[in-house]
Amino acid sequence: MQIFSTPKSIKKDSSFSFCPGCDHGIAVKLVAQIIDEMNLQDKTIAIASSGCSVTLYNFLDVDCIESPHGRACAVATGVKRAHKANGKEMFVFTYQGDGDFASIGLSESLHSALRGENITAICINNTNYGMTGGQLGPTTVLGQITTTSPMGRNIEYHGFPIKTAEHVALCEGSAFSARVALYDIKNIINAKKQIKKAFECQLKGYGFSFVEILSNCPTNWKLSPLDSHKKIENELSKIYPIKVFKDITND
Amino acid sequence: MKEKTLLKGNIAIAKAALNCGCSCYFGYPITPQTEIGEYLSFEMQKNNLAYVCAESEIGAINMALGAASVGAKVMTSSSSCAVSLMQETLSYACSDELPIVLVNVMRAGPGQGYIFPSQGDYNQTTIGGGNGDYHIISLSPSSVQECVDMTYKAFYLAQKYKNPTILLVDGLLGQTAEPCILFDNPYKEIDNSSWALTGAKNRPSRKIHSLEPSQNKLNKHILNLKNKYDLIEKNETDYEKYMCDDAEIILTAFGSLARAVKAVVNSFREKGLKAGLFRPKTLYPFPYDALKKIASQAKAIIDIEMNLGQMLRDVKLGVLSDSKVYFIGKPTGNWLKKEEIIDSVENILKENYANI
Ligand SMILES: Cc1ncc(C[n+]2csc(CCOP(=O)(O)OP(=O)(O)O)c2C)c(N)n1
Repeated sequence: MQIFSTPKSIKKDSSFSFCPGCDHGIAVKLVAQIIDEMNLQDKTIAIASSGCSVTLYNFLDVDCIESPHGRACAVATGVKRAHKANGKEMFVFTYQGDGDFASIGLSESLHSALRGENITAICINNTNYGMTGGQLGPTTVLGQITTTSPMGRNIEYHGFPIKTAEHVALCEGSAFSARVALYDIKNIINAKKQIKKAFECQLKGYGFSFVEILSNCPTNWKLSPLDSHKKIENELSKIYPIKVFKDITND
Repeated sequence: MKEKTLLKGNIAIAKAALNCGCSCYFGYPITPQTEIGEYLSFEMQKNNLAYVCAESEIGAINMALGAASVGAKVMTSSSSCAVSLMQETLSYACSDELPIVLVNVMRAGPGQGYIFPSQGDYNQTTIGGGNGDYHIISLSPSSVQECVDMTYKAFYLAQKYKNPTILLVDGLLGQTAEPCILFDNPYKEIDNSSWALTGAKNRPSRKIHSLEPSQNKLNKHILNLKNKYDLIEKNETDYEKYMCDDAEIILTAFGSLARAVKAVVNSFREKGLKAGLFRPKTLYPFPYDALKKIASQAKAIIDIEMNLGQMLRDVKLGVLSDSKVYFIGKPTGNWLKKEEIIDSVENILKENYANI
């Protein structure tokens, strides 16, 4: 393998802790590239949360705090506001799983959006609790088999999954909400564009900005990276449309 | 600022917090502490400080965690059943070594209980409901003046030891107005520039985390915390002893109840009975050694609390003997009165000590 370049905001000599073929790695790389391009490295405080991405601070070269499971947006609120009280505008973003953002932390997440908290949240939707081994989570789709829904998710027994980006868009305090995917080059380029937009919203002080990244989980889905991407393209993106749901900068 | 003013405990705490530079407050309403948040909401907004009407106590304590991580002086306040919701993040804050000041103005429990007076959160405060080997510094004021003094001290100790600190206040004290002096913060500022998350400008990036997948490193981290707690125990243990030096009967109490107990001691002394009061001012660290010394010469130690004997466990650990430790208390209701305490103490003495 030949490495052409690594973003400046990725720590030297660090390696990702993600499973081979996992989209988390692409997502973190995009975030690092954007931090570089927007010149944010020394102004950023990242909030890592429980889940596969908890060790974000081991490879992202910015100041970082780990939050308790689900509380990333509340921690980000404290970080952002405390700096502001001290007369400093810092760039603050969370990097969370869908279980973190939309299940255990739904209250903290949506209330941050409702308050119009001027932070950015990035949420990896891999339709299960990845780190704990692939259990049913808030985004597990109907029919999906997981270790705690062995006969597949069904409405009567488990209830419906959540469409997170759509919910965030409904909050009056949110400035930007989009769902993106990473299964091919076109989508990766779009993902980068939307994350950048979300970051810009914060820099302009527009309020809560959110990007849900529809991602694979080859290990827990028991699929090859290639097949897991096909699944996103052919099945999941039909349920979770790849779309910008809200962008007040376009209004 | 130096003259006496009449203040409720809750307002005194809020004013003292502002005086010593608290720049962030996050809270959720619950009686009997709501005035703290109400008072600060105006003062902090007026001064462009950080104030969030949090969506829950879980939200509030995690906002506090974030604010503490950037080096700000941060406070949240709550009461009993709602402090229960904060236990997870208090454990994180201990592991992360982040200074958060939490004011718990107690109500009666368990569960929702009610806003009646009680000292039922001694265990919650000193033992805690969080996971792992951790301790939270806990201060126990007995007057509105001490609410002021100990708010200053809580911020100082939290910053000095990079550890959460709880100010455990009787509901009665939060709601009682007393004359007090709102003096200037006597403590020096603690430099946190070596660890605060202020952006990686001209320095390597910093990380604050409690997750530690290396067993060796986790072991080392926990042992380092233990060393810090040992230091806190050595340096910060604080107590009041009143007429203890020649006392045969030691009465122990914490918080505002200790004032009624002091009056009891005075009455007994007038009758010629050698009684004394021992009052921990820090509940963690608990003054075991000081109590042990005093107790060694006493015939009886009687612990008095507005609960069913929570500090009693620490009193017994200090005295290192069950045989001469007794308890007087009730879970909630009107504060135990001087006369009630005198009756109960005399009964214990009559039943167990023919010659006192
Ligand atoms: C309070 C709490 N409950 C449960 C856990 C265990 N846990 C850690 S990560 C996780 C699930 C993470 O799933 P998600 O947020 O979707 O992120 P992913 O791992 O899939 O990236 C769970 C349940 C925990 N650390 N804390």
